[in-house]
Amino acid sequence: MAVAWIGNREVPLARAAKKAAELLVSSRCPVFSLDTDVHGTRAALALAARVGASCDYVNGEAAAREAAVIAASGGMFILPGEARRRADMIVFVGEIPESHRAYVEELAISVPDLATGGKRGLFLIGADRGAPKRLGGREVTLLSCEGTDLAGTLAAVRALCAGRKVTAEVTNIDGFKGALAEAGFPVFLFGGGEADGLTLEMLQGLVSDINRRKRASTLHLPASEKAWGAALTSTWTTGFPLRTGFSRGYPEHDPWRWNAGRMLDAGEADLHLWLSATGGEAPPAAAGASLIAVAKTARPAVGADVTIAVGDPGLDHDAVSYSVRTGTLAAVAARSSSQLPAAAVLRAIIAHLPEGAEAPC
Amino acid sequence: MLTRISGGEIVDPLNGRSGTGDLWIEDETIVEPPASRRPDATFDASGCIVMAGAIDIHSHIGGGNVNTARLLLPEHYAAHASRPAVTPLSSLGWTAFETGRLYARMGFTTVVEPAMSPGSALHTHLELADIPIIDKATLAILGNDDFLLSMIRDDASSSMIEDYVAWTVASTRALGVKVINAGAATAFKENVRTFSLDDVVPSYGVSSRRIVKTLQAAVAELGIPHPLHVHCNNLGAPGAAETAAATIAAAEGVPLHLAHLQFYGYGTEGSRKFSSAGARLAELVNATPEITIDIGQVMFGQTVTISSDVMRQFSARGGADPRKSVIIDGDGNGGGIVPYRYRKDFYGSVQWAVGLELFLLIDDPWRVFFTTDHPNGAPFTAYPRLFELLMRKEARREVAEGLPKRALSLTTLPAIEREYSFEEVAIMTRAAPAKLLGLADRGHLGAGALADIAVYRKQDDVARMFEAAALVFKNGELVVRDGEIEKYRWGRALRLNPSPDKAMVRRLEAYHQERYGLSLDWFTFPDWAIARENPFGEVPCRA
Repeated sequence: MAVAWIGNREVPLARAAKKAAELLVSSRCPVFSLDTDVHGTRAALALAARVGASCDYVNGEAAAREAAVIAASGGMFILPGEARRRADMIVFVGEIPESHRAYVEELAISVPDLATGGKRGLFLIGADRGAPKRLGGREVTLLSCEGTDLAGTLAAVRALCAGRKVTAEVTNIDGFKGALAEAGFPVFLFGGGEADGLTLEMLQGLVSDINRRKRASTLHLPASEKAWGAALTSTWTTGFPLRTGFSRGYPEHDPWRWNAGRMLDAGEADLHLWLSATGGEAPPAAAGASLIAVAKTARPAVGADVTIAVGDPGLDHDAVSYSVRTGTLAAVAARSSSQLPAAAVLRAIIAHLPEGAEAPC
Repeated sequence: MLTRISGGEIVDPLNGRSGTGDLWIEDETIVEPPASRRPDATFDASGCIVMAGAIDIHSHIGGGNVNTARLLLPEHYAAHASRPAVTPLSSLGWTAFETGRLYARMGFTTVVEPAMSPGSALHTHLELADIPIIDKATLAILGNDDFLLSMIRDDASSSMIEDYVAWTVASTRALGVKVINAGAATAFKENVRTFSLDDVVPSYGVSSRRIVKTLQAAVAELGIPHPLHVHCNNLGAPGAAETAAATIAAAEGVPLHLAHLQFYGYGTEGSRKFSSAGARLAELVNATPEITIDIGQVMFGQTVTISSDVMRQFSARGGADPRKSVIIDGDGNGGGIVPYRYRKDFYGSVQWAVGLELFLLIDDPWRVFFTTDHPNGAPFTAYPRLFELLMRKEARREVAEGLPKRALSLTTLPAIEREYSFEEVAIMTRAAPAKLLGLADRGHLGAGALADIAVYRKQDDVARMFEAAALVFKNGELVVRDGEIEKYRWGRALRLNPSPDKAMVRRLEAYHQERYGLSLDWFTFPDWAIARENPFGEVPCRA
């Protein structure tokens, strides 16, 4: 099976890796977008450090927001295992992403066995369109505020819980306040997909208010498990989550400056390394920028100067990935080792670079 | 490869060697001087002190909480990366890679991350594996986990508890066991806000003391070389010395290690009800031979506190500087990240003095360990200045002159004349840690030892001397020359490997399926996940 192409021409892997290295070395402003596992991210960061590239997540807005709220204000968080066993009140903040639906339904139908025990109330804040009335067969109480969005509803809920007045009504607020007063450990589920940065801070403010007298916390359901795994990996490797660049020879974190989409649209980047272990359609080649596609694919990516096929972590090769079920990194053994890991491909590219400083991975 | 380090002043307390001489290395090992062979390489160590590589028994260098601190404080790394060296946290060693580089240049060759949550062991080991040059090890946290607390509540047999502890140590690849404010993290989840040694965890009816005693017994019975590593209750509170004293008394002849004792060395005297109890605790340690302690010295400046004592960190978050923090309720302990600046004010000065009192008033350097509880008391890069404070009373006086006299008057520090000798430093940072951790292959310079060696150019400026070693060898390889990295290599994580009991594994599998809806595989990991060759080095349990 073909694994590497230069343009549309099939070539041996080593030749494609050499060509990719040449393109990277000659690039003045390379940008990487990453959608891979921990070891793929480590290798990508090592390569980026060597060639002065910047790194972003594929579709990185949500992950960037999730990391930014921790840097801006911190917060209170609970791990998923503890939430499952302890939360007697679950509050969904915004729409539940489809990718977490199975997990969330499981959470809805299970009951806490620690401390309070026995039952679990379900609420959903801020979605007045298309929100489920039931989840896993259990009723979900909606809190919504006419004429405003998630941020506005959450702000109103916080104000009302603090005994302040608001002009707009929030549906079911009395039931919510009553449940909050009775709950032993409410847990608010959030992700960066729908909620913007200020909404996430507002949520942390609400939880902080509750913790003055009682306990509560938030459960982070990352918009993308791979992106959050990359954020964690980048953080111990470079000191920062992604949207980090090495153009000055050391890592710099700047969520606006190193936004891959912005850089390509603005014509700042002259090379895009698209690392997508889950595949999908290649991003359109930006004007004036070379494209290196390291992706799960059976054919050369459209418009790519170099394409190298890699496997989906945990499916096509053994992997280490972030798991929303444990809230940490997990080893995932593949049923069969059928395709190359991205890490191996990136190391092959690194091997073709001129001698350089020690790589951090 | 035969190497000779010639003409250095050898300081090797374990083997009673002291004086000028040569040291010979063959490949990875220190050897007797060969009778008739010429060395392949010779390094001139004249005018230098030659010691074994240093071992840090308690430094938070990797894992979920450390990484969360990085996420919380990106501005601190920015200061580190691109600004002059005097900016806040400029020398913290904020990435895994920098951690190895900065430790190695000071002559440290083994460092223990003392707070690994068993549930995130893989994350911790991945970070440690990216720390170059040095060897690492971890202590697994127990004592707030439902499985253990339930067993204690239900009067499970000691052998069953030992099986669980053994499984935890083996599956997380740990070198020992730590308990952090035993029971408090669980109590905090039920809205308990303070917790002492004889307080009882709600829903379990188990006291903190009973948790500590249970784990202490299990660790001893399993032959885990390192005694139970205890982070006591009431850390940082005025009057915490009472808790530390009660915990020391609770050792009852069985080895127990108390972590960062400085943070408990506080009495309630004076108008501010905050004073030093350092001298009293030092006396207690002197009188209790089964106790070992490390200090957790405070040094002035910006840092970030990283602790799995979630109750304490929650209560400290009001003092966060800058004003942001992270509090995590985990499956067991969780953790809290609270940035903090130690100022030369009344409180900071008392804390600084308490640590030094403990260092200087505990007589036996085999039982007191050199730590700042990195980064809680100070970043580990403050070590050279701390060595100077221990070895030069004049250096202490100079710092004390800039501190509030009222604070120091509530301590005994101004009256202490003791200065550490090189031999005492070598015991405290080399021989004793190796003995405490059960690492017979290091901490000394005898034939057969691993060739982890630090060579320091002798000079009056002690801080400069320890800041940048003249030479450092790791496993016989020259890795540092004149404070600069000569060669990067990847060390190992040292671990115990007790055989897990099959019945316990079955029980844990059923428990995880039932309570978490997940198989035990989600909470363990195979070696391949680390993606390095031979990532672990095995240390034997005592027979």
